Amino acid sequence: MNLYSLYMKLFVFNAHASEMTLLERIKPPLDISTNGHLIDSLFNLTTMLITGFFILVCIGLFGFSYLYRKSRHPVALYVHGTARKHIAIVAAIAALVFMIIDMQITGISNHDYMQVFAKWPKEDADVVRVEVLGQQWAWNFRYPGKDGIFNTEDDIVTLNDLRLPVGKKIVFQVTAKDVIHSFYLPNTRLKLDAMPGRVSKMWVELTKPGVYDVACAQMCGTFHYRMQGKMTVYSQEDFDKWQNEMQNRTTFAMEKENADLYWGWKWLASK
Amino acid sequence: MAFFEQHIHDAPKTFLSKYVFSFDHKVIGKQFLWYGIAFLGLGGMMALMIRWTLAFPGEPFPIVGQFLFPQTNGVVPPDTYAMLFTLHGTIMIFYAITPILIGAFGNFCIPLLIGARDMVFPTLNMLSFWLAFVSAILLLASLFTPLGGAAGGWVSYPTLSTLIGSPGIGQTLWCLALFVLGVSSTMGAVNYIATIITLRAPGMGYFDMPLTIWGLWLTAILNALFLPVLGAGLLLLTFDRVFGTTFFLAGAAATSGSGDPLLFQHVFWIFGHPEVYILILPAWGVVSDLLSFFARKPAFGAKATALAMTTITILSTVVYGHHMYTTQMSPLLTQSFMMLTMTISIPSAVFFANWLGTLWKGSIRFHSPMLFALGVVFVFGLGGLTGLYLATVTTDLYLHDTYFVVGHFHYTMAASVLLGGFAATYFWFPKMFGRMMNEPLAKIHFWITMLGLNGVFMGMMVVGYAGMHRRIYNPFVYEFLQKLIPINMFITYSALLMGFGQLFFVYNFIYSLVKGPKASANPWEVGTLEWQIPSPAPHYNFDVIPVVKCGPHELGNPNLKNGRDFQYQTEELVEV
Repeated sequence: MNLYSLYMKLFVFNAHASEMTLLERIKPPLDISTNGHLIDSLFNLTTMLITGFFILVCIGLFGFSYLYRKSRHPVALYVHGTARKHIAIVAAIAALVFMIIDMQITGISNHDYMQVFAKWPKEDADVVRVEVLGQQWAWNFRYPGKDGIFNTEDDIVTLNDLRLPVGKKIVFQVTAKDVIHSFYLPNTRLKLDAMPGRVSKMWVELTKPGVYDVACAQMCGTFHYRMQGKMTVYSQEDFDKWQNEMQNRTTFAMEKENADLYWGWKWLASK
Repeated sequence: MAFFEQHIHDAPKTFLSKYVFSFDHKVIGKQFLWYGIAFLGLGGMMALMIRWTLAFPGEPFPIVGQFLFPQTNGVVPPDTYAMLFTLHGTIMIFYAITPILIGAFGNFCIPLLIGARDMVFPTLNMLSFWLAFVSAILLLASLFTPLGGAAGGWVSYPTLSTLIGSPGIGQTLWCLALFVLGVSSTMGAVNYIATIITLRAPGMGYFDMPLTIWGLWLTAILNALFLPVLGAGLLLLTFDRVFGTTFFLAGAAATSGSGDPLLFQHVFWIFGHPEVYILILPAWGVVSDLLSFFARKPAFGAKATALAMTTITILSTVVYGHHMYTTQMSPLLTQSFMMLTMTISIPSAVFFANWLGTLWKGSIRFHSPMLFALGVVFVFGLGGLTGLYLATVTTDLYLHDTYFVVGHFHYTMAASVLLGGFAATYFWFPKMFGRMMNEPLAKIHFWITMLGLNGVFMGMMVVGYAGMHRRIYNPFVYEFLQKLIPINMFITYSALLMGFGQLFFVYNFIYSLVKGPKASANPWEVGTLEWQIPSPAPHYNFDVIPVVKCGPHELGNPNLKNGRDFQYQTEELVEV
């Protein structure tokens, strides 16, 4: 019996002790985006590199502690580490760590960020546009409706209910009403701060239909933990169907006087 | 090097002048030590309540829960939970670690290790402690205000920390408490810098200072430069709260003109990133010295270590943007901050190599200070390396504000600094109080702490990678986090174990204070200046100001003829 199952048996109450291996438990949520794997693979690469380096540190730490303990090695070597040889070794270690670990992951991350995550779809591209407004403690979503223009009569507005299609780029513009929130989609590995007075943006393309969690990642008050939305991912047909359905329902709500409903803004063109 | 005569005044006679309003750096150091340990206990209790809530949501907190939260039958309520993690962070950083490592050991060690009779500004030193005391009263008072203490996270980002998110007076008191504490620390920092520059014993060049002093000196410089920045930010925040200004307000709440909440994040992290190094630098210094002392050989590349620490000090001022990747800065800034952050690896690797170089072919004694120092190397390795995930922007987009971050910074700021603080306590206890601490108890303390803290912080990183975000009262309202309940329980068990381990320390500390065996002048057989005077260190430390003739790490010289394997800093270096 391994330690994990022993622990599960002894310390965890039965209600939670479903059959699930440790590895299944600590896996990040299912990746449903086209680019989430970039983040996962960089994470794994970093893990490999630093584990390797940490093993070297441990070999030094535990190995030297064992080899050069007092009883085994009573007389220490009188050396200041200032010889040219010693300086060269230390410098080489520093340079190697920098080149092999840091520059490699920086290069990859930089490429992913500039070429993928911060490379916005073109203005005229066929994308789904969503405006997101965080407030204590809920997410408001706004779709432009049939006319494709925000803040008009035919907008679709939902609360904590984000519905998106697969296979199409989705661009969010995010802001907050009261305090800072952070729009967190664990299944796409992305998050973006929603700040009052500022519109920030994020794009994502989804691959797997289903229902997923939307969370707030920035402390936003007592019920921060309840600021939970659901993201329903549809196939394109289902998404169109849902949009048409919503279209027929929403028109009555769009009174200009009602700030709670009329909160949208003109879509900000990307530069 | 002394620029002026250091006079000796008569020892104070009354209780007040001797123990309360003392000018003596040793007494002030001890005052900070008690202060820090008391807050460490308080912050630790808060941590246990937080952990309990995360592992057993909806279960009453055992024993004290019924008294603290009678309305909810002992269950921690969500608003109190927010206050707990806010104050846990604030207390541990500003009221526990800072006083212990910088206040206590800074005050105690600096004059002793550089051969001075006291700090250069004793009155300022006393004021520094009593301002810290005022600040503690302000902070604790905030707990008893109608809406409770601050609850916006230790970073207290506006607009949550303005009246929109926290209407209670607790948040205002929190701002004021930290402002006053900032003034206190700045006073201390100015004093440390001036003392180290002017009062080094004759003959002691900068590279003849023990690395502990290097660490404390660099820390003091960062403190003096960047605490005022935090103070400015907090003052503006207080204006927003009290006088109705709008420096940090925007959006629907900014009815009269609009500021920018992001401005506060810039101000906060310009201070906040150096703060990380403010906390860790003294620990690095202590570890660098202790490894050499207990491996009985000179510190490997001591000069390089000192220069690497200096480099990090400088770099730490230009990397703060990596805390703000998710606020979406311009991509150019993001790239720059990522690149600059990465360069910190180079000096870090240098002193890791030097630490291992110090152990190499040593003759290692595993006394308790050494165990803790080795522990720092281990946990700081983990903490430093996991920082790489957060420095690269794309992985940070996922990991930002998750428990991975919490685990990472606890490894660096809590684990390394805590172990470094314990190493220093076990090491200098004889010189502080004239008695030895109990060795077996110290070792039990070390192993339980190591086991506990790795369980806690490794567990945090694991749940963070699985997507669990920070500062949530009940993570299990989210479906994708429900599978993490057993791991959260494991973290809590580890935290309880770690808390239990500290009882050994408290018992050992108090028992040794009263009944520990009397310490000799130099129980660890090392050559720095403080070990040449009796234990405990006498009034005004040195009868005659020592003259320094060699470096602090002269151990294991084969040509020593006097039966010792080390030489005092006041002795002429024996040539090989």
